Amino acid sequence: MSARDEILARVRAGLAKGDAGARRAAALVYLQAASPGPQPTLAGDLVARFCAKAGSLASTVERVVDYAAVPARVAAYLAAHDLPARAVTALDVAGLDWAAAGVDSHSGSAVDADPVGITGCFCAIAETGTLLLLSGPATPASVSLLPESHIALVPAARVVATMEDAFALLRRERGQLPRAANFVSGPSRTGDIEQTIVLGAHGPCRVHLIIIEEES
Amino acid sequence: MNGNARHSQAMHFTARAADKVRNPVLQQALQKAKPLFSGKRAKAMAALPDDGLEFEALREACAGIRDRALNDLDVWLEIFEENACARGAEVLWARDGSEICELVIDVARRHGVQKVTKSKSMLSEEAHLNDALAAAGIEPVETDLGEYIIQLAGEAPSHIIAPAVHKTLQEVETLFAEKHGRPLEARTSADIPALAREARGVLRQHFLSADMGISGANFLIAETGTAALVTNEGNGRMVTTLPRVHVVITGIEKVVPTLQDFATLMRLLPRSATGQTISNYVSLLTGTRADDESEGPTKTVFILVDNGRADVVGSHYQDILRCIRCGACMNHCPVYFSLGGHAYGWVYPGPMGSVLTPLYTGIENALDLPHASTGCRQCSSVCPVRIPLPELMHGLRQEQWRRGLRPWGERLGLRAWAWVAGRPKLYRALTRIAARYLNWLADGAGRIRIFGFAPGWTAARDLPVAAGGKTFFEQYAARKRD
Repeated sequence: MSARDEILARVRAGLAKGDAGARRAAALVYLQAASPGPQPTLAGDLVARFCAKAGSLASTVERVVDYAAVPARVAAYLAAHDLPARAVTALDVAGLDWAAAGVDSHSGSAVDADPVGITGCFCAIAETGTLLLLSGPATPASVSLLPESHIALVPAARVVATMEDAFALLRRERGQLPRAANFVSGPSRTGDIEQTIVLGAHGPCRVHLIIIEEES
Repeated sequence: MNGNARHSQAMHFTARAADKVRNPVLQQALQKAKPLFSGKRAKAMAALPDDGLEFEALREACAGIRDRALNDLDVWLEIFEENACARGAEVLWARDGSEICELVIDVARRHGVQKVTKSKSMLSEEAHLNDALAAAGIEPVETDLGEYIIQLAGEAPSHIIAPAVHKTLQEVETLFAEKHGRPLEARTSADIPALAREARGVLRQHFLSADMGISGANFLIAETGTAALVTNEGNGRMVTTLPRVHVVITGIEKVVPTLQDFATLMRLLPRSATGQTISNYVSLLTGTRADDESEGPTKTVFILVDNGRADVVGSHYQDILRCIRCGACMNHCPVYFSLGGHAYGWVYPGPMGSVLTPLYTGIENALDLPHASTGCRQCSSVCPVRIPLPELMHGLRQEQWRRGLRPWGERLGLRAWAWVAGRPKLYRALTRIAARYLNWLADGAGRIRIFGFAPGWTAARDLPVAAGGKTFFEQYAARKRD
């Protein structure tokens, strides 16, 4: 017997239930129903909640009116933090006029030498202050991972309440999960030496979020 | 003896425990960690009502989700397998640790892999995978900072979410200086970021040059054929994004039905583990790189592992399979914090380990672990999936008794006690004699400093003696008369 068949047979013997067909039908009904568990009640404005939570996770947040304002704000952020004005951008935000703001940009996958990565996001979650980034040809996962600084553009209209809402949006707009759906909540961290939290373990040391009030 | 028992030191628990309580460096590390673990969790749980959430309702839901998966485990595994394969992943199955090693080495050879970067996987500890990879000429590099530290030290993890909790800052400094070939520096707590940065630099080069990434999975999501990976450092994302090949090694019990179920579990997992409302990176990994993508593995392999789990399904101990590996039980365990994780002798320490180790390595090979309890029940009160850990440990103790695995002195003593306790007159007469005798030994002091029949028990405490040498029954009767 193959390992697969033997393991499944042992599980079935332990369960001692019989009729796998009926149990499978019941499982498929459960999948269809997709009923959520206990949901939070989030008081007040979702975007304000998102900003507050993201701040508590050591991200920094600023709000701008539209996309046109973004490159100059990014340039100002980089200058204020003594960071080089050099960035790798995900293709979906590569079209902004980075050069005019003095930001030297290239788009595509990140390389080790990229100091700054700029991405959009699929949506953001107010409950936990979390970004949802989907991998794809225009949105390589490395841009939010390899550089020491990650700047994410978050349209206010894309802030949803919960992870469940993010899944619903994903189903509606994409139909299925991409290769990698990454929920990102602030800079990477470790507490593995004497339980002391250090920001910037393997991923970015700093995450800056720019909320865009109106879509251009 | 099964393969797990061969690697287990659980039979030497008592001897190892005695060694650990006398190790001042270990005790220093544990005493620093203890209040941090429990304090962070308590704070996170206390904040749940701010969002209209409640711990008891959430853990009821979480336990229900895990039970649903386990009660039809075969069905959910098949649904997972179909959906994972439909997205281009390969699903393999391993009966035990040696089959894990064979499968991983085979995948590595088929894809010309020289170097493997690993995100934390307890299954790879069960299988002793690093040794097997090295023996096959493949370099394994642990990339979770805690796992990296203990790999350099040639040790095993002592905690499931904080593998190097037993190491002090000074020990890490000495280790890094030696292994990274640099002079030793005097370090204070302020230098912990510098050590983390040093490891980041070394490990970044490994991430970029590895051919294969190995990770565990916190959950398998059946409806989408997805591995869910919960990390803080970003190493999980690195090993699943950069190498050509990604191998997920996980236990068959880790499956959950839906994304909704996963979202519910994520409300308790990080809070229970580290007191975070959410971990920094939660990655849902499905299938392989698409044709038009510039990165991501072109080959994704799931290895679904039994290694003792299937036999627990449907048994008296099935509840332990709900475990989501948060570590809350050990973080609140007085036994764990007296000894550290290594004393337990196998992969999983603390209360969950005291149940899992006997089940996976054989009850007869871990006789002391189900007794490693003070009966405080903290573990079951903090468990996010309501595992009745004290009851499961009790069940294992009963099974040891039934199978005649207890020492003859204990068996004889318990039988004698049961015989006497079933005869009230005799029982009262004997306790009268005992109480008088103890009172005589105590010489009116009300306590015995060193009791000859139990010198170990009285080494660190006194044995209290009933006032005036009267038994409980005599005192009770006297009070009733007054």
